[in-house]
Amino acid sequence: MNQLLLSLALYLRTSKRYKKSKNFVSDLLNNSSNPYKKYVDITIIFLIVTSVFILIYEVKHPVPEWVDNYDIYFVSFVFSIEYILRLWVYNDLSEFVTEEYHESQFLQRKFEPWSVLKIGLVEKLKYMVTPAAIIDLLAIFPAYRPLRVLRIFVLFRVLKLLRYTKSINQFVEVISNKRFELLTLLFLLFFIVMTAGIAIYVLEERLNPNIEDLFDAVYWALITISTVGYGDISPVTPEGRTISMLIIVSGIAMISFATSVIVSAFSERLIELKENRIVEQVNKSRSFLIVCGYGQMTKMFFRQKKDALHNYIILDKSLERVETARKDGYDAIHEDASRFETLNKFNVEHAKITILCLTASDVENIYITLNAKSISRKIKVIARVNDISIISKFEYAGADHLLMPNRVVNTMVHTAITQPTMYKAVHAILTGKSLAHIDEVHIHEFHSLVGKSIKEIDFKGSKLLFIGIQREGKFMFNPSTSEHIKSYDILLVMGRHISINYFNTLYAGDI
Amino acid sequence: MFAKNILLFGYGNHGKFIAQGLAKDGFSVKVVESNQEYYRQAQEDGFQDAVHMDVTKDDALKALNPQDYVKLVCVMDDEHLNVFLTLSLHSLFNESYILSISDSMHTTKKLKMAGATKVIDLYEVSANRIHNILKRPVATKLLEGFVLERDGIGFKEMIITEDSFLVGMTTDEIDFSPYGVLLVGMIDEELGHAFVFITAGINHNLDCDDTIVCIGPRDKLEAFSEEIKKRERSI
Repeated sequence: MNQLLLSLALYLRTSKRYKKSKNFVSDLLNNSSNPYKKYVDITIIFLIVTSVFILIYEVKHPVPEWVDNYDIYFVSFVFSIEYILRLWVYNDLSEFVTEEYHESQFLQRKFEPWSVLKIGLVEKLKYMVTPAAIIDLLAIFPAYRPLRVLRIFVLFRVLKLLRYTKSINQFVEVISNKRFELLTLLFLLFFIVMTAGIAIYVLEERLNPNIEDLFDAVYWALITISTVGYGDISPVTPEGRTISMLIIVSGIAMISFATSVIVSAFSERLIELKENRIVEQVNKSRSFLIVCGYGQMTKMFFRQKKDALHNYIILDKSLERVETARKDGYDAIHEDASRFETLNKFNVEHAKITILCLTASDVENIYITLNAKSISRKIKVIARVNDISIISKFEYAGADHLLMPNRVVNTMVHTAITQPTMYKAVHAILTGKSLAHIDEVHIHEFHSLVGKSIKEIDFKGSKLLFIGIQREGKFMFNPSTSEHIKSYDILLVMGRHISINYFNTLYAGDI
Repeated sequence: MFAKNILLFGYGNHGKFIAQGLAKDGFSVKVVESNQEYYRQAQEDGFQDAVHMDVTKDDALKALNPQDYVKLVCVMDDEHLNVFLTLSLHSLFNESYILSISDSMHTTKKLKMAGATKVIDLYEVSANRIHNILKRPVATKLLEGFVLERDGIGFKEMIITEDSFLVGMTTDEIDFSPYGVLLVGMIDEELGHAFVFITAGINHNLDCDDTIVCIGPRDKLEAFSEEIKKRERSI
């Protein structure tokens, strides 16, 4: 038996397919940055909403049988699959068994998988008794439905929505941060209600026809202290009325106390919640920009945007600058981009991220570059370098592009003096103010230009100046007209926007 | 070399590199600095005739005879001083060509109002580069190499002399390929003083005194600029 268990565990541990599918399911259910998660969420939410709608509709109208079947069998089936999957990905039992096996081999003791398996199962059980898992489980059972009272259990399906709505989770989180205050308040409430309930029971049980037992008395106390006051039970003796007055006053005090606790909890966390929302929003897009630092350069960058930027987020260490950015109408959060946790919050796995390090400090920019590259090499980094002498450090850190404002400006001044006409041309191209642009045409594998020689391509007809080809990292200036275009070449051309677009529509596309 | 003398105000972050670059290209640069330390640095770097003075004083500025220089370049580290200096120079020497650099977008406007002939805005250029990098990374990197590096491929402007074989030809007629360079654009004096890119699609008539800008390997550009001075093309 042990042997069978071991070989099964070892098989699962080594099977790449098993691991891959488990990771996929886990990611799909739990990782909010997974692009497909939203489809799963939408499906589940749809099932919940229809199920609750059927419950309400059924109260007054007969429903066709297929609707009932859908509600009882299909929805429950999907929910039970989901429940089982969540339980499955919660931990890995095969890991426990194989580890125990390796340990026993190492220590040369008897291999006993059952004890560790028990630990693993206890962990799973612990998951099963978490509120979320209990709700999931209760939401499955359709068997409750024939009994009218138990039909209300369908509402557990509504509670299931909690899992899929971020704001409720945040609400719960905020409230749980004020656990201590709220528990004190609850205890106090319990104490007053019980005392007042017992007092009224003792004083009026015989005189008041509405109070028959202690439950009535406690019910009256709670209705009174909450200032709801239905009026179905009311005190009839002066002593009873005195107690009413006292608990009404304490009720008002308690309600205002509870309100203030909750409000303060929210105002403390409001900024954080807002920032989380911004991060979540940007994480949903497939490619986005993270701009570090809101200084002159960033301001200018945003001011120049020709087509509105949507997918971006500004990070700054200084609260003051973050405030300025927000006032200017940009999405900014108060975070230090050089911290691992900050950048790790973003959807590094699934999105194309470009980081702009635009702070005024070189040290900071290098640090952010390293931080980004250590999280994922896929992140593209464009860094600003102020001190030209440390360019090599940025290159070591792995920055993809360097911005050297000082060097560029110095060159421009130099050119403006030595070659004023050329300056006009270069300045126009660099600032994008002219009609002419230098642009690149990427030749993909199935591009219609692959295999053609340069003389076959009519650059002049599209009013373009062909400058050269970038091939395998090397630039060939003005290659001979017999040169053939290969896949993955990048053609460098100069011309007006419309010419470049025309050229692209003329030649792009598959063979 | 009267045509190649420059009066450079400021030997700080930018001035230092600009002065050295210009000197390398054969310009005679006179450095003016109000900061003692920068002034000493300028002298150490070989600008012996550097002047240490208070640039806010009009008399001192007049004594420099800025009208004798082709260009006045204001690159003081202190941006307030830079604007003030530009204004003083413009009011004193209305005719002079004043080139200033700006460290912030607000300063650019002030410098223009103060009368600078040309303002180079550090942030404008850089911010544009970011847009360019995001949109066309390869082209930007290459273009920068063309502009920044002293060897390899670059741009060069050339003035067409009276005896050049190019005079009287149109841009479409000339075959640039044997020279290994490409014509990027030109200033056609007939059409005013604006720069026209060759890709604008107009066939230009080349005349004496027109300026053309070419791109190509540096050595070929040099050879070509010598070539166009000749009456007959050799290739």
